[in-house]
Amino acid sequence: MLLQTEHVSKEFNGIYALRDVNFALEAGEIHGLVGENGAGKSTLIKLLTGVYSLQEGRILWDGEPVSIGSPAAGQGLGIHVIHQDRTLIPTFDGVENAYLGLEYPTRLGRVDWAAMRRRVRETAARLGIALDLGKTAAELSPPQRTELEIVRAMMHECRLLILDEPTAALTDKESARLFALLRSLREKGTAILYVSHRLEEIFLLADRVTVLRNGELVDTVPTKSITQEQLIAKMTDGAPVRAVRRRRDFGPVLLEARDIASRDGTVKNGSLTVRSGEILGLFGLGGSGRTELLECIFGCRKLARGQVLLDGAELAAPSPENSLRHGMALISEDRRGKAMVGSLSVRDNIMLSGIDAFASHGIVQTKAETGAVNAQIKALRIKLADPRQRMLELSGGNQQKVVFARVLLTAPRVFLCDEPTQAVDVSTRGEIHRLLRQKADEGAAVLYVSSDLKELLEVADSIQVMSRGRTRERWKNEDLTAQQVLACCYETQERRAQP
Amino acid sequence: MKLSKMSPRKLLQAYGTILALALIVLAFSLIRPASFCTLTNFINITRQISLLVMISLGTTLVMSVNEFDLSVGSMASLGGVMAALLAVKGLPMAACFALPVAAGVLIGTVNGFIVARFRVLSFITTLGMSTVLSGVIYRLSGGATIFEGIPKSFSALGTAKLGRVPLLSVLMVVFVALFWFLMQQTTLGRKLYAVGGNEETARVAGIRVQKCKTVAFALCSAMACVTGMLIASRVGSANTTAGEGYFLQSYAAVFIGCTVSRKGVPNVLGTLVGAAILGVLANGLTMLQMPVYMQDIITGGIIIFAVIAQKLGRGDAHS
Repeated sequence: MLLQTEHVSKEFNGIYALRDVNFALEAGEIHGLVGENGAGKSTLIKLLTGVYSLQEGRILWDGEPVSIGSPAAGQGLGIHVIHQDRTLIPTFDGVENAYLGLEYPTRLGRVDWAAMRRRVRETAARLGIALDLGKTAAELSPPQRTELEIVRAMMHECRLLILDEPTAALTDKESARLFALLRSLREKGTAILYVSHRLEEIFLLADRVTVLRNGELVDTVPTKSITQEQLIAKMTDGAPVRAVRRRRDFGPVLLEARDIASRDGTVKNGSLTVRSGEILGLFGLGGSGRTELLECIFGCRKLARGQVLLDGAELAAPSPENSLRHGMALISEDRRGKAMVGSLSVRDNIMLSGIDAFASHGIVQTKAETGAVNAQIKALRIKLADPRQRMLELSGGNQQKVVFARVLLTAPRVFLCDEPTQAVDVSTRGEIHRLLRQKADEGAAVLYVSSDLKELLEVADSIQVMSRGRTRERWKNEDLTAQQVLACCYETQERRAQP
Repeated sequence: MKLSKMSPRKLLQAYGTILALALIVLAFSLIRPASFCTLTNFINITRQISLLVMISLGTTLVMSVNEFDLSVGSMASLGGVMAALLAVKGLPMAACFALPVAAGVLIGTVNGFIVARFRVLSFITTLGMSTVLSGVIYRLSGGATIFEGIPKSFSALGTAKLGRVPLLSVLMVVFVALFWFLMQQTTLGRKLYAVGGNEETARVAGIRVQKCKTVAFALCSAMACVTGMLIASRVGSANTTAGEGYFLQSYAAVFIGCTVSRKGVPNVLGTLVGAAILGVLANGLTMLQMPVYMQDIITGGIIIFAVIAQKLGRGDAHS
């Protein structure tokens, strides 16, 4: 047994994030870790990597009790983690990033860059990773960054590699490359703890899977002996995940984007229409400009040309403020960076966009405000101790619900959702889907961006492809298959690639 | 959260700075009961800190949007010089005090516009502005303190008393109340905190970031100007560098004040507490006839300690 936790518990402000967890991990296995948001996955990882200190219970490493008091201590044991928020320094090149936290080799008192480059290159070669080490992290694509992080982890002796939602920003093809790499690491004896909300990945990759629920370890089972439905049942306490009802009668066109190009060139030609009552799924591979198109429509990215029309009327001078006033709302993909203020309270976050509606002459009507906040918390079933709690203390799924609460307070008619279920647990994901469907039924237009095609086929009424900064074909989501959509993506990509 | 339900650590975290102020007051009261612990002295302290508090209210605003204004010191000096010059020219008192404030608002607006519109570091922008203002002061005053020909009535604001209470102390209370209301009870205050917490999110959430920052800078310069005029009014003359001493002190007050807030953000009551700590220390240590250099060492040490204590309390220190 490589790693074992015995009766491990951790509490915050009197609430248990983990309770009496007995978890075991073998060398040379890929171990899936699943659970809803707030189930305790992050807490467990942080305990194993020395970010949090242990309160109760003990951790055995190679059968010996160890204390992992700091991230450095964890790395000393050979435990490395790759986070969903990547931890590379954007302005450093591959060699410097790989050497973060390592002693630089010196020769005659000077940093021996040649030796560093050699060692990083050797490590990458050993893993079968081809990377331009001279590029800065900012210049790399998301999958390349993940690979660089793996190289970095492998610079040290790595006996346990923990990956937290590593494919959140990757397309299917890019994920496949990562999986092949992980399998080869397993063959070399490294244990891998793989955390993901994408259950099909768990089944594809993991030998065993551990389920956490409300801070308790529910079960550890071989993935071969369980079905996806059974796994979901364990995660959600048996509550059924309802399918979303599909409807087909739409109203008039509510949102139209005409020939949009962004000033920075990431969007070259974006044109689309969304009708009242419709959920339009916008699918694109990484770098296709889907996020940027949404930002252009919402007015937080500068336009070179093009128009945004609401109800057929052109939106003059697009800006977030203007868009919101006209009933448009954006759920940004970059939650921490663009959708929430971590240091402020949940209440302040919910009120971020709509505060003016709860004030007269600029003075906040606290009573009305509190009422509205509590109503949203209740309606969206946001789990928290106190609305005055800091936003950062909530789990990912609950943070996303707060973002939705904020947006709902502005009573939007057009929802621009960019990966709204990214790093969100199964049941919150279902809740978000139902919420958007309900809003569409009430007459809203929803533009739904996802890099998860299966999700789009599940939620959307129509699907449109975007690639290389241009919007492409559009289908009704009837008897549509993933192959058809992907074929369009790759076809247009190849056509572009060989002009 | 109710008081009784809070753990000792939480309590210390929330009220530690106020407790520290109480302890300092208690200590001086025990050492110098006859001179320190008297109503007269306490009223005196409120007058001594009033100017610092007023200038710090402005810096609180600018810091709440996560920016710095390094020009508050020279802005204050300029405010005093302008008011004094206008008074010498024989303008009505109302105009002598109103015109410089208008200039302050204008200069602050320029600061805010440059910072927000061009996304320049406020540090650099206001450092530049500070130098510009020093030049303007020299041009206006010729580099000399202005005291000749200032009418008596000019000193009224800075020296008048309501009963036993100096007008300055009253003004301080009024401004604190105004700024507290602004930061806590108005939409503008909420928006300023949102901008300070995460500018990008605030922008996407439809908050006009540029406007918020500009308002913060404008009010900050206006308060610096007000403070400078009151300094001049109090001493009956305008020194060309009168405001400089207040610049660092005001940031110290705001930083100490951050420790009063659970979120660790700049806040009005915290700033008041911070300024009070600095004021009480200066007052008490002077009474103990502590040499000025010792006062500096003690005051500086307490500022550093306060910031460390806050980090430890919030549990995000690297230990």
